[in-house]
Amino acid sequence: MAVVTLDKLTKFYERGQVPAADAVSLEVNHGEFVVLLGPSGCGKTTTLRMIAGLEPISSGALSIDGRVVNNVPAKDRDIAMVFQSYALYPHMNVADNLAFGLKRRSVDRAEIARRVAAVADTLGLGGLLERKPHALSGGQRQRVALGRAIVRDPKVFLFDEPLSNLDASLRVSTRGEIGKLHRRLGATMIYVTHDQVEAMTLGQRICIMNGGRVVQVGAPLEVYKHPANTFVASFLGNPPMNLVPARITQSNGRLLVKVGAHLFELAAGRYPALTAGAEVTLGIRPEHIATATNAAEDGRFASIDAEVVQVEALGAETIVTARVAGVASELFARLGPDPDTVVGERRAFLLDRYAIHLFDAAGVRIPAHAAEA
Amino acid sequence: MAAAKRAALLLVLCLYTAFAAGPFVWAAMLSLRTTTEIHRNHFAPPNPAHWDKFAEAWFTSNYAVYFTNSTQVVVSAVVILTVVGSMAAHCLARYRFRLNRVIYFVLFSTIIFPPQITIISLFQILVQYGLYNSKLGLTLVYVAIQLPLTIYILESFFARIPSDLFDAARIDGYSDWEIFWRVSLPIALPAVATTVILNFILLWNEFLYAVVLITEEANRTLPLGIQRFIGDTQEDVGMIATGLMIAIIPVVVIYAFFSERLIQGMTAGAVK
Amino acid sequence: MPAGHQETSRAGALGKPWGTIGAFLLPSLLIYAAFTAYPAVRTIWNSFHRVLPRSDEAVGLANYAELMRDDIFWRSVRNTITWACMSPLIEVSVALLLALALYAKVPGARFFRIAWFTPVLMSYVVVGILWLWIYNFDWGPVNVALRALGLASWARAWLGDPKTALASLIFVTSWMWVGFNMVVLLAALHSLPREVLEAAELDNCGWGGKLVYVILPLLRATLLNLVVLSFIGKMKIFDLVWITTKGNPLWATETVSTYVYKRAFEWTTFDLGYPSTIAALWFVIVLAAVLTLTWLFRLREKLEY
Repeated sequence: MAVVTLDKLTKFYERGQVPAADAVSLEVNHGEFVVLLGPSGCGKTTTLRMIAGLEPISSGALSIDGRVVNNVPAKDRDIAMVFQSYALYPHMNVADNLAFGLKRRSVDRAEIARRVAAVADTLGLGGLLERKPHALSGGQRQRVALGRAIVRDPKVFLFDEPLSNLDASLRVSTRGEIGKLHRRLGATMIYVTHDQVEAMTLGQRICIMNGGRVVQVGAPLEVYKHPANTFVASFLGNPPMNLVPARITQSNGRLLVKVGAHLFELAAGRYPALTAGAEVTLGIRPEHIATATNAAEDGRFASIDAEVVQVEALGAETIVTARVAGVASELFARLGPDPDTVVGERRAFLLDRYAIHLFDAAGVRIPAHAAEA
Repeated sequence: MAAAKRAALLLVLCLYTAFAAGPFVWAAMLSLRTTTEIHRNHFAPPNPAHWDKFAEAWFTSNYAVYFTNSTQVVVSAVVILTVVGSMAAHCLARYRFRLNRVIYFVLFSTIIFPPQITIISLFQILVQYGLYNSKLGLTLVYVAIQLPLTIYILESFFARIPSDLFDAARIDGYSDWEIFWRVSLPIALPAVATTVILNFILLWNEFLYAVVLITEEANRTLPLGIQRFIGDTQEDVGMIATGLMIAIIPVVVIYAFFSERLIQGMTAGAVK
Repeated sequence: MPAGHQETSRAGALGKPWGTIGAFLLPSLLIYAAFTAYPAVRTIWNSFHRVLPRSDEAVGLANYAELMRDDIFWRSVRNTITWACMSPLIEVSVALLLALALYAKVPGARFFRIAWFTPVLMSYVVVGILWLWIYNFDWGPVNVALRALGLASWARAWLGDPKTALASLIFVTSWMWVGFNMVVLLAALHSLPREVLEAAELDNCGWGGKLVYVILPLLRATLLNLVVLSFIGKMKIFDLVWITTKGNPLWATETVSTYVYKRAFEWTTFDLGYPSTIAALWFVIVLAAVLTLTWLFRLREKLEY
């Protein structure tokens, strides 16, 4: 395990073009599991490949355990990588695939045999050692790819979207395997994915990237609850956070927010930096919206009238889509299992005032005091 | 990669290019010089460049005849090959019937036949039917020898067309022939273009069958014509070189415009 | 029905549309039958006869017996098989080296690829004449260069000397076909899975390691394919020999195909039976050789990815 430090890593593929990775800075601690999360093209894979040494670094410094490794060739960085397509050697059987890296490093034969046996045991590959990759299922290949990395006992593990080629059920179980692996080995792991579920469940910290830049770094729940901007806010969460344009007004010394045709008070003193007249984006997650059969407005909840447009009963919960007068986009609400609501109905939806996020005109979060219970 | 290593590699590659292309460059230079100039110094660049030699070769040395014959034979053969070959390929690719793979294999396996196994009898047959020494006879033989390759290339292409398209066409009421003509062929146009170019080049350069089946001067194709030149005017290097240049012009033109397609067509099937 | 081939016409209550199938296939099958199948059969028939301009005389296996004693035939077989064995070795290995050089992202790769492919496009007639000149004793570039380098004793009549004639011709076909093989190998190299090579990189493989442990094993199928193609091509060779040496000097470059031609059309015996015998036997030999080669290679080719 090791400390990996990225200091303003930048990658230009073509001079004068937009960089694929732009001044990416991140510190990964000993034994930490960090996930690089973002949509395709956000630079997460480029960053990972720079860490691996498969992509030359245009500018910035990459250090492993304090030593700058920009110009150190990939094979000397003591890094193992699990590729998206597994990258198993098609002409070698599983045992040879696992042993290859060690053989190339002149590890003693007995030691190789021992390690391969141990890994095969851990990952349940015992009966497959003689098979070639084409005779394995997707999940089995994935495990061999994992095994190949483990057997090297590297300082850092890198994962490049390893689950994206698996079908849904396998993905869930393998995700669990990877998590267990990290707890067992305690190794430093850097994991790239576009899937927020993987990020939320596996990462001790997630680093959200967009357009080549780091947007926010933090523990998963932290980032979920306090997104730094509208991009992060809408990227995490399914269904995504509701984001609507709004305007701040003032009345009697209290700040009010106008959403479409609705006007309601914000939680007092919660947004110290907010001023009247500001154009903002109001965000609220679907799980923080409730319904009431009577329009009761109390200190905690603001009420908003909307017409139900769609009801999706999923069994454990219900996703209700509603249209608010004067607001272009539809509102998603996550309600309980029994949908006591029908399409076409006009209902009052209750918004938890302490769960409201405000973002300024540039999409940046307006700081808020913590919610009061 | 170290700069020195890269430079050395580049040098080797340039040397090889000189080796590969050198003979043609030399021939091009020779084609523009008179034989006397050549014998003074075989390697000097053309000075001045005698472009009129091309006209001379064309008109006084019968090149016009050879060129025309080649064009007639090859173009006809390619047209017939394209029509007949694509029909067969379409059928083999899209219709299921018990003999399908047998027929495909039989047609395709003739690619390994050494020409000798057919050429003697072809000679006899063409003589028997009065097609010996005729452009028609040669054309038909040319179609036969290129048929396997054409069907091979087209069949794999036709087979890859998603069957949904054919189902849709069928529902729209198209007949089998119309489906071939309006669905298969247009979609397979790139592959058809490839076979056209490939067949053209291979047949334009074809020598063995021509030399056996054509003996009359008036019907000689270009490769035969050039060969006769060697026998006739052994020492007129300048004129032969000019003739060579005329012979390769169509190939060079096609290569200039279609190099990618030509390379892919010729190497298809060799990559596994 | 092979995978990927889908039914176009529904059999339905009418059964297979034999009429349509027939219509599509008939022209090709007719041409095949008339100009390939029938002639092949007839040649074999010829081989059991003396076929003179006005009569045919059945002679059973006499032609074959004579063939076994025919020194020229066996010389030509030796020449042709030598050619067919040496060429693939030279052509494919040199092509592999060149392809690896281009694969290493040398600038101008596109240009090189196009330039090196050109010899393949030219007619053997053109190539033959060019190389007659190149090998010319007095003024051909080869000898001129040798003399200029002070190696005048090495200069010789390359195509006129029985000891060097065949090798000189093999050199010419290599010159032609290296470009072709190189293009194929380059395409194969580019289709190698990039991530597998990167994994090898991380597994401590430099250029040499990657070549030996990953690239060559994965290229094997293509390499073998090219070897077989080259072999078949040289077994059939005719044009180049006919233009340059016609089998001379002293049968040093005589190939089976030139011998067949000579016996059929140039010797004054006018008997087409004997050359047919040569053709028939050669046909069997080529078929056997190809089948053996592919069987040998298929045994070890269980690669799939």
